[in-house]
Amino acid sequence: MKTFNILKAATVAAIVATNAMAADIAVVGGKTDDPFWNKIKLGLDHAAMFIESTGGSVTYLQLQTYDNLGPDAAQLVRTAISQGVDGIVIPNWVPEAEDEAIRAAIDAGIRVMLMNAGDLEKARELGAINYVGNNEYSAGLAAGEYYGDQGIMNVICVNTVPGAANLEARCQGVADGIATKGGVSNQLPLPATSFGDPTAVAEAIKATLLGTDTIKGVITISAGDADSAAIGIQQAGKTGDVMLASFDFNQSGLDRIKAGEQGFAVDQQPYLQSLLAVSLLNAYIEYGNNLPVAPIATGPGIVDSSNIDATLAGVQKGAR
Amino acid sequence: MNFLSLGSLLRRPEAGALLGLVAVLTFFVVFGSTRFLQPAGASSWLNVAANLGIIAFPVGLLMIAGELDISVGAMIPAGSMTVAIISGHWDQSIWLGIAAALAMGVVVGYINGTLVNRTAVPSLIVTLGTLFAMQGVILGLSVLFTGTVSVALKPEESGPIAKFLFGQFLGGTFQVIILWWLALMAIYIFYVHFSKYGNWIFAMGGDKEGARNAGIPTSRLTLILYIMSSTSCAFVGMCQAILFNSAQVSAGMTFIFNSIISVVVGGVLLTGGFGSVLGIFLGTVTFAIVTQGIYFTDFDRNWSSLIIGVMLLIAVLMNNTFRQMALTYTPKKGKRAARHG
Repeated sequence: MKTFNILKAATVAAIVATNAMAADIAVVGGKTDDPFWNKIKLGLDHAAMFIESTGGSVTYLQLQTYDNLGPDAAQLVRTAISQGVDGIVIPNWVPEAEDEAIRAAIDAGIRVMLMNAGDLEKARELGAINYVGNNEYSAGLAAGEYYGDQGIMNVICVNTVPGAANLEARCQGVADGIATKGGVSNQLPLPATSFGDPTAVAEAIKATLLGTDTIKGVITISAGDADSAAIGIQQAGKTGDVMLASFDFNQSGLDRIKAGEQGFAVDQQPYLQSLLAVSLLNAYIEYGNNLPVAPIATGPGIVDSSNIDATLAGVQKGAR
Repeated sequence: MNFLSLGSLLRRPEAGALLGLVAVLTFFVVFGSTRFLQPAGASSWLNVAANLGIIAFPVGLLMIAGELDISVGAMIPAGSMTVAIISGHWDQSIWLGIAAALAMGVVVGYINGTLVNRTAVPSLIVTLGTLFAMQGVILGLSVLFTGTVSVALKPEESGPIAKFLFGQFLGGTFQVIILWWLALMAIYIFYVHFSKYGNWIFAMGGDKEGARNAGIPTSRLTLILYIMSSTSCAFVGMCQAILFNSAQVSAGMTFIFNSIISVVVGGVLLTGGFGSVLGIFLGTVTFAIVTQGIYFTDFDRNWSSLIIGVMLLIAVLMNNTFRQMALTYTPKKGKRAARHG
């Protein structure tokens, strides 16, 4: 028994010792079964290689569902606190639900970096170091302006998850962006019964295009929806007449851009979000380094025919 | 026995489903436009109905037999991802991809059926388990093999024959899967309504113990139904990948609810023992019309879900009224107690 206790004490001491030497960082994030969070995972895996080489660690705390987003994320923050980490990287999806837990982490001496969802004002308010990511509204704005610059003045924003604040902000951004060029964009909210059914999404877009001849642009809130939209546009007989675009992208979307069948894709560069957020947080905890740049914007980047080849090379490696 | 009288027609299981269909069709022609019935409009709901319908048949038969299959949500992406990874990512023959996708369906269906037969766990829970398990398998393997969760399957990788069979548009607007759906319906109608197997399924749903005691091979039948269900899902997923030239890990969950709704709108009892293949067909068409018809109306799109919900309730209520008529009908003035669903 006594030996056991000594052993235990030694182990605890060893753990404390390594903790004192290097940063242990927890990253809260979404399910890796969608392309987006998979790239986030790759970014943090790459950052982890470097951090582990200095004796630290990076853990990915993953949501199991999105049904209870805010409280679940808050719970993961508390899990991280109880694990005794030195730093937490977290998206501020639902501030009302998450802020209390984030404050508790900061009060416990844990450094926090906001990533992917949130903004600089929120980071300052909570006492987080910085915000790394994209602003959904400005991503929409960039898309709207791109359409306007191409002379396309009537665009629908296809929203397969109406009501989600970040997606509504994207569509609102498109509307405001195209408005600055004199155009108009309406949202096409699809009912929950069609989410994940490519035929239902394609047919909804086809029917809308057939019903309104003046629509010259279709932008979808996700890469998968753009695959459905491409078929919908083709079925309406309007390939070439209606410019397709998407927020985020996948291989087939990029193939379409390369073939000239899709105008562009708005990229928020998820790989960079986690890579930078984790690396910067580690540097802050370890060496007291801090960037004067705030917030750190990873998007919006526009992928179109001008930069498609470099992007395709990144896709092959799972980072874009 | 007068099968042709109006009364006996109304007491058939699919009568309610047919009236529900007529009701929603009328609604959308009145509030929408007749474009809804022209080829481009009709394809809009027939395409959705065909994809859903191929899955709704076996799901409905399982429900008639008193079982549920929730794992359909994972088996659709399982089918699409298998063919996309094998034929798109690895550049193997499309036929190998198709065979592997269907084989995946058979294997998972076998697991579902065996677990339901061998354990006392309700099929809802068993298939819920395989739903999550398969989601994990697909995600894990996809990331392992391709590094991503969205895999492209280019038209040239599918090849002209596979495109022709599974992913073409007939007349430029009707998905070829509609023909598969109708052919499968004919086969189901034959087996369910004109062979002994149909009666076995109904008997199982009515009283499983009794059916087994009467010598019906209930375990084998359950196994076959689960294999058909999973394989049908893999088939639909495979067709989607070939048609849309890509596959996503996260797709398909909506088919769980939608298939059960279609089956219930089609007059199948949630508790089993009552329903028909034609009813399931009509229920699927009704569901597709309700969800797609909305785009042919001028209603504000924010209200779509409300209208869908109300229309489905109306369809099911009509159905229930007629099922009640069918189940409480007594041929003569006898004192036989009416059986209630």
